[in-house]
Amino acid sequence: MSKKTEEELDRWSKEVKRGAVTLAILALLSKRRAYGYEAVKLLGEKMSFLALEQGTVYPLLRRLEQRELLKSEWDYEDPTKPKKYYAVTEEGHMALGAMVKDWSILSREMREVVLEVE
Amino acid sequence: MSSNDPLKLIEQYLERVRVYLPLDSEDAIVELQTHLIEEAQRIGEGTMTAGSAMMAIERMGDPKSVANEYAGSGKKVGPVPAEYVNPLSRIIILLLGVGAAFTVGLSLIGATLTQLFGADIQNWPFSIPLMVFLNLFIIIVIIGGISFLDRDKPLTEKTTLESIFGIGVDGFKPKGRWDAAGDFIMGVILGVIIGIPSIVILYTDAFKALYIYVVIFLFLGAIRGALFYFGGENNFNLAVEALLSVVWIAMAVVLINVGWPIQSIYLTISPTPEIVPLEGFLTEHGIPFVPFDWIWAFIMFVTVVIAVWRVIVASMKITMYLRAGKRLWWQGNWGERRTLRTPLWRRILGEHDQFQKETVRHDGYMEPEESQ
Repeated sequence: MSKKTEEELDRWSKEVKRGAVTLAILALLSKRRAYGYEAVKLLGEKMSFLALEQGTVYPLLRRLEQRELLKSEWDYEDPTKPKKYYAVTEEGHMALGAMVKDWSILSREMREVVLEVE
Repeated sequence: MSSNDPLKLIEQYLERVRVYLPLDSEDAIVELQTHLIEEAQRIGEGTMTAGSAMMAIERMGDPKSVANEYAGSGKKVGPVPAEYVNPLSRIIILLLGVGAAFTVGLSLIGATLTQLFGADIQNWPFSIPLMVFLNLFIIIVIIGGISFLDRDKPLTEKTTLESIFGIGVDGFKPKGRWDAAGDFIMGVILGVIIGIPSIVILYTDAFKALYIYVVIFLFLGAIRGALFYFGGENNFNLAVEALLSVVWIAMAVVLINVGWPIQSIYLTISPTPEIVPLEGFLTEHGIPFVPFDWIWAFIMFVTVVIAVWRVIVASMKITMYLRAGKRLWWQGNWGERRTLRTPLWRRILGEHDQFQKETVRHDGYMEPEESQ
């Protein structure tokens, strides 16, 4: 792969990831609540393409909470490791539903277009 | 020097991150702390060691970038890089706040800044751009110099620059829970003592007319302490603190003119205590006259400086919390850091810290200091 192609691929994958990461986090947290470290690990395991680091996940969780798509609750059961659990709000579920719908259309149409190229 | 204690390493690293975070970031620090402990335990296959903690810290990265990513501010302000915006704003606020507090305190006791420093500004206003340029040049040379000296420090050790930037972090921390309990207890004790009739008869006539307001103020201060003890830092408690501080500044204006409040003292040499005038007693026993009015002025000065500082910090924090969408009351935080250790009562019951220290040798061999 040439350097130019690598640069293009890098730029393109960054743009794709940027759009996909919110959907991925909302989808994973809609099934069960998770705290920061758990969410980072879960996203790392399930979404290897996104290659999400804690530097991306924590700020995003915080932004989604500020936008009221996520809500959080502290668990102090283990005082040495207090955990901030994130869960999807009512508003978040509605946004997720709409995103999933759009994503399905996008991925179906993209698949058709890409298959023509292949 | 770097510690061998994994918890200490994490705390030191988080102290560095804290320097670059905005004021309301205690939650972020605790979240990062939990992340680091869990990551270090994962690396150490269930046990956190100094080595695994260090690896977790290295994976997290440079404190400046971590804080900047987490806080999500990421904006340059003029020539100031994004990472330095928070610590620099804190220092500026600190300097302005301390300046304002001292100015109010000094004007209350009748002193002006020109009297103190003999200010004599020449070539006004042409000296301003020259002074700004000279100061910027000096700052750049100093920052460049100390950054160069700090270049080999490990991730867990604060750089000299961070130690400077960290100035004032404590001044903006929420009130500690035990400090709040202390405010309550001291408020009640002092209020009761000042109001005891056998103490009241020792006051000057001028203070006798006013002491009841001081008693009421002390009881209100005790209520403020109780509010902070139960509710932590929230907008309601901060508003109460600001209001009481403003009331105290107003009271201090009157009290400073009243002068030293104690006119007489109890003498207990004879079986029955007798009341003697303070000044007469000192002169009679050859004790050099103590400048009581100056001591009183100093006490008033210190309390007013603290009150002004509290008004500034409370107004700033209320604005900050309102911007973050918080309302009047919520269960707020206290200033104490949540401890990383297992609490004493749990340790007494036989539960031990799940962390262990180890010595990392230069050849890579790791020797645990205590076994699980």
